[in-house]
Amino acid sequence: MFSLMARHGYALTFALLLAEAIGLPFPAAIALVAAGAAVAAHALWGPYVLLAAVAALLLGDTVQFWLGRYMGWALLGFLCRVSINPETCILRSAESFYKRGKVTLVIAKFIPGVNTMAAPLAGSMKMRFWQFLRLDFAGALGYTLTYLAVGYLSRDFLAAILRGFHAAGRAMEGVIVAALVVYALYRVVQYRKHRMYRVVPRVQVQELAARLASEDASHVLIVDVRSHGYYDSGGARIKNSIRIEPNNLEEEIKNLPKDKDIYLYCT
Amino acid sequence: MLREKGFNTFVIVGGLTAWRKAGEPVESVPENDLVKLPTFS
Repeated sequence: MFSLMARHGYALTFALLLAEAIGLPFPAAIALVAAGAAVAAHALWGPYVLLAAVAALLLGDTVQFWLGRYMGWALLGFLCRVSINPETCILRSAESFYKRGKVTLVIAKFIPGVNTMAAPLAGSMKMRFWQFLRLDFAGALGYTLTYLAVGYLSRDFLAAILRGFHAAGRAMEGVIVAALVVYALYRVVQYRKHRMYRVVPRVQVQELAARLASEDASHVLIVDVRSHGYYDSGGARIKNSIRIEPNNLEEEIKNLPKDKDIYLYCT
Repeated sequence: MLREKGFNTFVIVGGLTAWRKAGEPVESVPENDLVKLPTFS
């Protein structure tokens, strides 16, 4: 990353930050730290790096803002599906807007998960474009300057780490292999957890519809477990279903009848 | 969790999307169930 940064610094900074701004999982903060170190080493010129980074963030965020304005929940849902935790994704971002209001845009880039969602949420919430641009510019500038400064100030430290990596080649291989093993174990645990969820019986729509049309319908309770973030004005749900908030299941469960079969659904 | 607590629980395959595609009835989400996001307009 550091040698790449020294050679193609401006283009790389622009590309990585644009990629992050449009929601792709790229290490933009690391790129900025590397660029900061390159500036300290006089391989890059600071103002150009700053310009490339802020321009990329503003371009990506502006695209997201207008997509959010015209696509609304469809885009937010898509962005959340590709995130690590889809269920909390919109909630976390929306709650940030609830708590902090417009200032969210200024700090969003420092909060994983919220950073990708802030611009499209602002668009879907009908924020005025020039207001969005002002706040987003402040956020982009703060984010870029912070990480560039980290790279600039820790140049010697980063160089020492790189020298350490070269000197401790074998040890590093061991660390990388260990990290891969830990990651593989984590994936196995996740897989087993999801297998456990599959134990819950699944029914086809036709099967449930037939039961609802029979005399047995009174023993059926259909429950909507979409989180409230997925609701939008004019939203629909299965007729006669009730809603429970999955993030508050401990409390919600107290009101559920045990003498009925519960059919859960989401989007 | 529901099953652990003794509820007889099932999951509808395909969720609301499959329900709609099958032409089964839906209703509007009641106003008091909606949690509206703030707007800045």
